[in-house]
Amino acid sequence: MPVWLREHRWRQTLTAVFLSLPLRGARATPANIFCSEQYLKVSIPPFLFEAILYAPIDDTNSTAKIGNGNIFFTLYKKEPAMWDSLTLANADKEKLQYLREHAVLKAHEKAKEETEAKKITKQEHKKYALEATMKLEEEERKRIEDLKEKERQKVAKELELWKNQQKYGDKYKSIQKKGELHQEIEPLKERKSEKMNKTRIPNEGTSKTRLKSTEGCHDSCSIFSQNLKEEQLPAPRAAATIKVNFTPRVFPTALRESRVAEEEEWLHKQAEARRIINSDLSELEDLKEEEKNPDWLKDKGNKMFAMGDYLGAVNAYNLAVRLNNKLPLLYLNRAACHLKLRNLHKAIEDSSKALELLTPPVPDNESARVKAHVRRGTAFCQLELYTEGLQDYEAALKIDPRNKNIEKDAEKIRHLIQGTMQSS
Amino acid sequence: SAAAGAERPQVVSHVQQALSYTVFDCKWVPRSARLLCLGSAARGTGLIQLYELRGARLQLLREIEKPKPIKCGTFGATSLQQRYLATGDFDGNLNIWNLEAPEIPVYSVKGHKEIINSIDGVGGLGIGEGAPEIVTGSRDGTVKVWDPRQNDTPVANMEPVQGESKRDCWTVAFGNAYNQEERVVCAGYDNGDIKLFDLKTMSLRWETNIKNGVCSVEFDRKDINMNKLVATSLEGKFHVFDMRTQHPTKGFASVSEKAQKSTIWQVRHLPQNRDVFMTSGGSGSLHLWKYEYPAQRSKKDSEGSEMGVAGSLSLLQNVTLSTQPISSLDWSPDKKGLCVCGAFDQTVRVLIVTKLNKI
Repeated sequence: MPVWLREHRWRQTLTAVFLSLPLRGARATPANIFCSEQYLKVSIPPFLFEAILYAPIDDTNSTAKIGNGNIFFTLYKKEPAMWDSLTLANADKEKLQYLREHAVLKAHEKAKEETEAKKITKQEHKKYALEATMKLEEEERKRIEDLKEKERQKVAKELELWKNQQKYGDKYKSIQKKGELHQEIEPLKERKSEKMNKTRIPNEGTSKTRLKSTEGCHDSCSIFSQNLKEEQLPAPRAAATIKVNFTPRVFPTALRESRVAEEEEWLHKQAEARRIINSDLSELEDLKEEEKNPDWLKDKGNKMFAMGDYLGAVNAYNLAVRLNNKLPLLYLNRAACHLKLRNLHKAIEDSSKALELLTPPVPDNESARVKAHVRRGTAFCQLELYTEGLQDYEAALKIDPRNKNIEKDAEKIRHLIQGTMQSS
Repeated sequence: SAAAGAERPQVVSHVQQALSYTVFDCKWVPRSARLLCLGSAARGTGLIQLYELRGARLQLLREIEKPKPIKCGTFGATSLQQRYLATGDFDGNLNIWNLEAPEIPVYSVKGHKEIINSIDGVGGLGIGEGAPEIVTGSRDGTVKVWDPRQNDTPVANMEPVQGESKRDCWTVAFGNAYNQEERVVCAGYDNGDIKLFDLKTMSLRWETNIKNGVCSVEFDRKDINMNKLVATSLEGKFHVFDMRTQHPTKGFASVSEKAQKSTIWQVRHLPQNRDVFMTSGGSGSLHLWKYEYPAQRSKKDSEGSEMGVAGSLSLLQNVTLSTQPISSLDWSPDKKGLCVCGAFDQTVRVLIVTKLNKI
């Protein structure tokens, strides 16, 4: 239940109302005051003051002064008139409620309007700032353009001047030339006959014809002057050929530094391909078509191995390798044959070559790599190189840890090594 | 030393002209404000267009159509009065045209079996001494020198040895033509070979390989004792050779620069200053360079032979004008800084390079 503040004092003029509200010790802030056109409320919990004003006021311009335990309101009336009282006398509850709500609504609207207005002014300020910078930039740009334009015009004027000089010069020259030449025809004719004897040009025929043409020359002066100059020129060069060698280049395209690496690689691959085709061509010609296919040969080899014909299998693999030395399985299988044939060193060689070709080590070639390690390991052990053999077995285990056979064999080898160590 | 920012030469774009054909070469007509564009029309014929620079635009004066597309042209071997244009076309024909009466060529020969990639002329325009000659380099691997007074056969032929597979010759240039007898031809090929042929002794004087196809070679001056040679190549590189000192085994000293990622299509020396040159690139850019000589241009090696010392390069300016390669470039011999360039975006541009006096 709020405590109503009722000890207010007021006085009025025609245009304003002055209201003094003691606060009974409570501290007021602007937030506690709520004022609309016809409704005034001061709420400092638990204190409450409420007034439905007699007539509407201009709430935007009205003021409230807080101080000395007092709020002093200066309310400007909307319509200048003397009020009978501060508040509406017969205010019933409903009217009160309505007015309150109305007041609140109005206040909200006002607040909204104010924020809108603020936004608009902010935008306008921004726009103004933008325009100002744009103007400055525009001016700067124009200044540079003007400088350029001035330069251009200056240069264009110089050009025109030069051009006119040219034209004038040309005309002058041609007039002068004509005059000079007409004057000189006679004495020059004589000079020419003299020159005939001294001329460096060996061809008698041509100089004779030239003389003829000069005698009949009344027209184009240019031919005349040309002839004059020709006499002072050496004869056409004696024709000759210079043979040229070029820095070799396989490609018909132009040389570009950035492409050299690519081109080298391409050539290298081409050379490799050719080598395979060309190697021992005579022998290979005897083979049937299928025998030239490394895969077919590999299958043949595998079959022979299965049947126990180890030498035959080796032959098949050998031929396959000659045709394509980049297939790891050929070496792998040949290693198995060599193991059976007890060609241990060859078995090691082939297993090693197979492993080389089985790079990069990926899941796809796991089984092949395991086999290669095992075969090589076996070969080492049979040569009594147990440490090396163990290395290979352990490598095989690393790839395939779940293989019991390999594990068993590895254990055996370890024992063997320990045994020999102990005994030595 | 780099020039200060405000004093650096600026490349000002003066006129831009859109063309309806592919332009392969552009050349100033000597002693005039006129220029030529040479190229290939869409229907597979050759075009020569003559423009005049009028104010801020190019005025088309003449258009000449020929049966085969034209790849290159030069005024180098013609007199100032005649100003005949020598052209090489896609079919291997060398023609010399009188532009006032272009219906029939003044000289014509089917010089090569394949396209003539590059052409140069010397002995004309009142520059230097000796007979005017034209050199052509072709895809058929040969380089031939022609004298317009001699029909049908070249006066020099640099061809592959019997059985040797040919390489494309991409560029040719005359040099060392300082008196009536001396003359050299430099040729660049697609396999990176550069060969220097001496026409007086009719022999190969020097060769080297710069590891990238050679797009353009030019001496700084044709008519002096050979001084510097610039060779540009694929992969954005170019080399400047000091041609004054030839070492018996090491050849000529050089400095090289990698200016951009793409092909450097052309190099052209400024006619008014032989140490300044412009390179044009496949990325549509132009770079203006200055060569600085070293303190000593030659020194002795451990065996006492003279060898050259290369200098250094500084980049004066660069500008990007197009997204397509700028394949041709020509300085005006009459107005310092005026140049024309043609690009594969079917545009020819007239540019003015300012402040060249201050270099």
